[in-house]
Amino acid sequence: MAVLVFIFLGLLLIVLQTTVFMLNPVWVAAPDLFYILVAYLAYRFDLFRGLLVLLPVSVAMDVFSGVILGIYPAICLAAFALLKILVVKMPVRESYYQVPFVGVSYLLVNKAAFLAITFLKPDVPIPWSWPMMLLRVLLLMLFAFPLFRFFEFIDSRLQHSPLSVRVLGRRSGNVFRQEGEE
Amino acid sequence: MRKNGNGKRSGSGRSIKIVLLSGVLLPLVLIFLVSSLGSQKFGTLHRLVAEVAGPVQLVFARAIDHLHAFRRDYVDLFASREENKRLWKELQECREAANKNREAMATNTRLRKLLEFKEASEQPTVAARITGKDPSLWFRSVVIDRGSSDGVAKGMPVVTGDGVVGQVFAVSPNFAKVLLAISPSSAIDVLLQKSRVRGILKGAGSLTCSLEYVLKTVDVQEGDQVVTAGYGGLFPPGMTVGVVSKVMKQRRGMFLEIEVTPAVDFLTLEDLLVIQKEIPFAEQ
Repeated sequence: MAVLVFIFLGLLLIVLQTTVFMLNPVWVAAPDLFYILVAYLAYRFDLFRGLLVLLPVSVAMDVFSGVILGIYPAICLAAFALLKILVVKMPVRESYYQVPFVGVSYLLVNKAAFLAITFLKPDVPIPWSWPMMLLRVLLLMLFAFPLFRFFEFIDSRLQHSPLSVRVLGRRSGNVFRQEGEE
Repeated sequence: MRKNGNGKRSGSGRSIKIVLLSGVLLPLVLIFLVSSLGSQKFGTLHRLVAEVAGPVQLVFARAIDHLHAFRRDYVDLFASREENKRLWKELQECREAANKNREAMATNTRLRKLLEFKEASEQPTVAARITGKDPSLWFRSVVIDRGSSDGVAKGMPVVTGDGVVGQVFAVSPNFAKVLLAISPSSAIDVLLQKSRVRGILKGAGSLTCSLEYVLKTVDVQEGDQVVTAGYGGLFPPGMTVGVVSKVMKQRRGMFLEIEVTPAVDFLTLEDLLVIQKEIPFAEQ
């Protein structure tokens, strides 16, 4: 159930991102809502369920954006993997404190993807611009807080719904990692 | 005893009063009544009463006037509040109508341009509307509401009444993805209209494009028109692409660095035309 709901949410976010937040085809100040979902999935969902949500959503992103098919699933998986590793290694378990890492991972993953595209198809991407990228990171972090809250809300509602199959990564209340955990 | 004496004195006082009343006051009243009714004259007493009561009456009359005025103002205030509300509503409706009219006029102008182009064009066209824009920082593309079921195919040129927009590069039955001319991966065969020199127009990701492969020996001026060459058979020849906005001659290299400002305003792009032409199999 949660997988289906989050796939739907992901598609909704992509639609919002490509319509409401893009005022014109060269608009820069559009938050990457899709990436916030990727980060949330990495923080809150287990690997299998996270991938189940990510694959259809990233394919949808591929359809709506870009000229190289497969670029978004690749970026998505890279970000998901990076944030999963961070989640395991980091002492802080509360997702609100993890928001800064969303920004950092966004920069890292985008830079890596940009270098890969430039290497494979040098004429395709628009040249890298730090001011634009930093603006995107700022917007991402601004939108991450309310969206994380929203996702948490949906997630908790789904956990308590009678259709819920499993209880998903419920927080103990302790925001620090327990000794010997993971 | 004393009490009895007092009682006698008070009884005699009352008798005096009765005598005075009936003997003096009543005749005076009768005289006054008879004289007033008889002569019908506004006498001294009347004048005296009028002068004494008049100011009091005046005060009361003014007070009542003020009270009436206040009540009227208060009622009017309510009425004017209602009136204000109604007028505000009317104003909002008028503003909305004016906005709608302006929007309709803008749409009309845009569609008229498209229609003029459609009528002038020898090839069949399909009108389309942008439904989504590429949110990434690296690519420039849009999604339109026409697809293969409308006769749109990969490689078809997309234009507006102002000039070239881009070309279709992916289609589904009801939607298509258009690569904009300002995208770095876009390359269009163009001509400088004045000198008839050929070049390749490449997008820069911003609102300008660059014209490449134009030799330094060619005389290119700012303001020169850039049109499609039509060599590849993709775009119809002679279609407006943009205007040369900057020409730079570097010491190194064989070619000029030319910046072209597209004729199409990509910031306000909404309605498009897809030119339905046979796309060579190799292009698809």
